[in-house]
Amino acid sequence: MNEPPYETTLTEIRADLAAAHRRARDHIAQPGTWWDGAHRVSLMAETRNAVDCALCRERKAALSPAAVAGRHDSLGELPEIAVEIVHRIRTDPGRLTRSWYDGVIRSDLTPEQYVEIVSVVAHTVALDTFARGIGIAPLPMSQPAAGMPSRRLPPGARPGPAWVPWIEPQDLTEAEAGIYPHSRPPANIHKAMSLVPAEVKSFFDLCEHHYLGPLEMRDFGREYRAITHAQIELLAARVSALNRCFY
Amino acid sequence: MLGTAAAGGGVPHGAILVDFAEAVLGDNDERASRARIALSERLGDAALVDAAAVVAFFNAIDRVADASGIPLDPERIDLTADLRAQLGIDAFAQDRV
Repeated sequence: MNEPPYETTLTEIRADLAAAHRRARDHIAQPGTWWDGAHRVSLMAETRNAVDCALCRERKAALSPAAVAGRHDSLGELPEIAVEIVHRIRTDPGRLTRSWYDGVIRSDLTPEQYVEIVSVVAHTVALDTFARGIGIAPLPMSQPAAGMPSRRLPPGARPGPAWVPWIEPQDLTEAEAGIYPHSRPPANIHKAMSLVPAEVKSFFDLCEHHYLGPLEMRDFGREYRAITHAQIELLAARVSALNRCFY
Repeated sequence: MLGTAAAGGGVPHGAILVDFAEAVLGDNDERASRARIALSERLGDAALVDAAAVVAFFNAIDRVADASGIPLDPERIDLTADLRAQLGIDAFAQDRV
């Protein structure tokens, strides 16, 4: 039998992957850095709801998403600007623009609140896409845990070449230790969510179990999964091309 | 790793894997089911799980990259210039200002 949360799944799931999914789902339901547990679970629910949004479908079909106005079909649990962010990232990420980001930040939302939304959406997409991949229903959401967000802004975070501020390795403090790989300088994708360090830790924990760890991905002398490095990279490349992801 | 996506880029079982990735990201449930069965029958259930995990993670991390507006890492700009031009990837960035 599989480890929770996949006890009832017939397909055998690696125990380390099941454990990573358990941690990720629990992480979403905990109070975050800028959103409490109830809001984070609502962000997860809204991420799932976005795929059925009529406005998002119309925008996706349009030459430019900005050309289509209207209201999202939302669950009504989040501020409208958070709904816009969740839906756009979930349904049309390849056409997000700097001017769109600047607009949402002008709408009374901080960059750190924004980054935490990005992270909850990304965690949810990882869990739900995996479920679709193996042909099971998405995992039930955890009950939100009580408590207040920690509201800790990393002192070393600075504006850089990304839309969102980030932390360069030399500006890390003890509180952010361990968010970047030890074996090499962090790539920009590692720094992308460093404005909210707890999200970097959780998301790259998923990375090691879905994909490969930093050393494994460069160890071409050995295979660590039931598919080869080349097959893994082919899948990654195809997904990123379908998503029109430049990075 | 060049060639058409449908042909699988010369990677063993590449066509099955590419079809699986496309089906999982698409919204046609029947196609997804067929792709899942094909992958499982040819490569096994463990490969299905690992392929689903990779597709899922890149579907997520692409969103982190796109939503945070990170640029390409400086050390990769020159290294990948020809490949990006050849594959048309540069066009993905042109809409993002």
